[in-house]
Amino acid sequence: MNKKFVFILILLTLLLYARPFWQWFQAKKGAPGPSFHVVSALPGATNERPFMKEEFIGPPGAMQVHAASMAELGDGTLAAVWYGGEYEGSKDTRIYFTTRVPRAPGEEGEWSLPRGIVDRVSAGKELKRYIKKTGNPLIFSGPGDRLWLIYVTVSVGGWSGSALNVTVSHDRGRNWAPGRRLTLSPFFNVSELVRNNPLPLTGGGYVIPIYHECIGIFSELLWFFPKSDGKGLNYRKTRLTWGKRFLQPTIVALSPDSAVTFHRGHGVRKNIGMSFGEDGGETWTAPGYIELPNPDAGIAALLLSDGRVLLAYNHHRETRENLSLAVSDRGFRSWRRAAVLEDTPGEEFSYPYLLPTGDGSIHLVYTWKRQRIKHVVFNEAWLHKQVSDER
Amino acid sequence: MSEEIIITGFSFLFPFLLLMLTVQSVLRRLGKSPGGWRPAVILGFFSALAVTVPVGGLPLARWVASLNANFSIPLTAVVLHRVWKNASGTALLDGNALRVGWIFGGIGGVVLYPMALGLGPFDPYSQGWGFSSLFVVSMGLTVFLLVKKNRFGVVLVFCILSYNLHLLESSNLWDYFIDPFFVSVSLAALVRRFVKSKNRRDNRMEKS
Repeated sequence: MNKKFVFILILLTLLLYARPFWQWFQAKKGAPGPSFHVVSALPGATNERPFMKEEFIGPPGAMQVHAASMAELGDGTLAAVWYGGEYEGSKDTRIYFTTRVPRAPGEEGEWSLPRGIVDRVSAGKELKRYIKKTGNPLIFSGPGDRLWLIYVTVSVGGWSGSALNVTVSHDRGRNWAPGRRLTLSPFFNVSELVRNNPLPLTGGGYVIPIYHECIGIFSELLWFFPKSDGKGLNYRKTRLTWGKRFLQPTIVALSPDSAVTFHRGHGVRKNIGMSFGEDGGETWTAPGYIELPNPDAGIAALLLSDGRVLLAYNHHRETRENLSLAVSDRGFRSWRRAAVLEDTPGEEFSYPYLLPTGDGSIHLVYTWKRQRIKHVVFNEAWLHKQVSDER
Repeated sequence: MSEEIIITGFSFLFPFLLLMLTVQSVLRRLGKSPGGWRPAVILGFFSALAVTVPVGGLPLARWVASLNANFSIPLTAVVLHRVWKNASGTALLDGNALRVGWIFGGIGGVVLYPMALGLGPFDPYSQGWGFSSLFVVSMGLTVFLLVKKNRFGVVLVFCILSYNLHLLESSNLWDYFIDPFFVSVSLAALVRRFVKSKNRRDNRMEKS
């Protein structure tokens, strides 16, 4: 290499590094750090009557179903997704999608017949690679009534071979854009999974709890910034926990800067984990345990209108045979078990997902005996009544 | 051209080069020289055909991408160097460049993988998005190697060029620098070098 060539290459290097620096500098200059949009259940009227309703989503079938999530569109339409197949991890698993359009304002309609929107063949075609099976889907709504779907696919191995993909619908779920792979791990881009609610950010975008499940088992956050055209996408990932003790986080914003995360416990001590973030989610306290048990199973959390947190979880250290609701005090130090929604020995009720809607209702979907997706709707008045009845 | 077409198109390069190198190695083992431009062009043509023709619904290159979609630029450069050397007899990367490459891959892997896979609270992989100390360190290293006229510096220029052009599926700078295969090859090369130099030292001591 002669001197002139070296000089040109050094100049080129500086220019090539200047571009990401400039983009980072502009982003830093133009906007403050990330801040959370506080999502909570809406308070009902003081004289509102307690209500609670249970139903199944979709007709009964022979296949196993699991890992439901739910979103609300601007007009009150609910959209739900889950995956189902012969068994968990079978090659015929597909992600099912259904909606419930209100008949009239304030009057609920019927769930549409669930239809498969992603399977291993369609995902393989869209992602242009071999896909062995599909897994956990997460649906959420964004500006312009867009529906986003982040879903797990596996090319090689079991769930530790999972990778995350994203697709979007601009027409309320009728059509979905081709899926796109998210690269989130340096090691063959495997072992990244999604489960719980995203949290909107005030400047646009979302922070989505995800987790890693391979040699280490830990909770992470996916910072997800779709561009306004719905096609472009920026994302990055930060760490919530490390080691092998916690996974499947769920995040609740307490203020624009602070949030609390709860974690499925995976360690010897079978309790739910909790950690706090005070600086827009950039750094987090080391997770500790709360008093509620956890049989290494999914949990869901939601901020109530009075600042307390509602948790849906399995109140057991070994099995998933009951599904319970618990409400915290304001400091999240003590918890009161509010309701037992399911309790049948030998059965499984798992993977709860909580969604507050604009009408003040709280929606809960969960896996019911691996046979059906159950949908429970209640309001805060019902929840408060359960808490006071437990006393 | 859309970003997706560019990324998909680039994903064919590594499997193409790897196939060429594999066939060249087989030819060598069979005692046939893979050298010369004409055999290289013919081999290149058939390798290109082999990685693009669909087998079981997917081109061979995309089967490879199913396992790993982000082959690092240094690994691609090393394979290209070997293919080029087999075909032309001249080296794109000299011994110094390869030595620095192995050290780069080895250290990069040791720094990145244990922590990214959950050892400790710090995730170095998160430094690969946006702009961070990783960018400053890699820029400094690139300029240093260029000043030292080490050809691995040119490989690092291609890394940041590819990052800017978003040639890989990943938008994380780490994936442009290293991948599990490059780290494995680097560590193996370093161990081999260490064992060789130890044997040489032992032999020298025995003789003296």
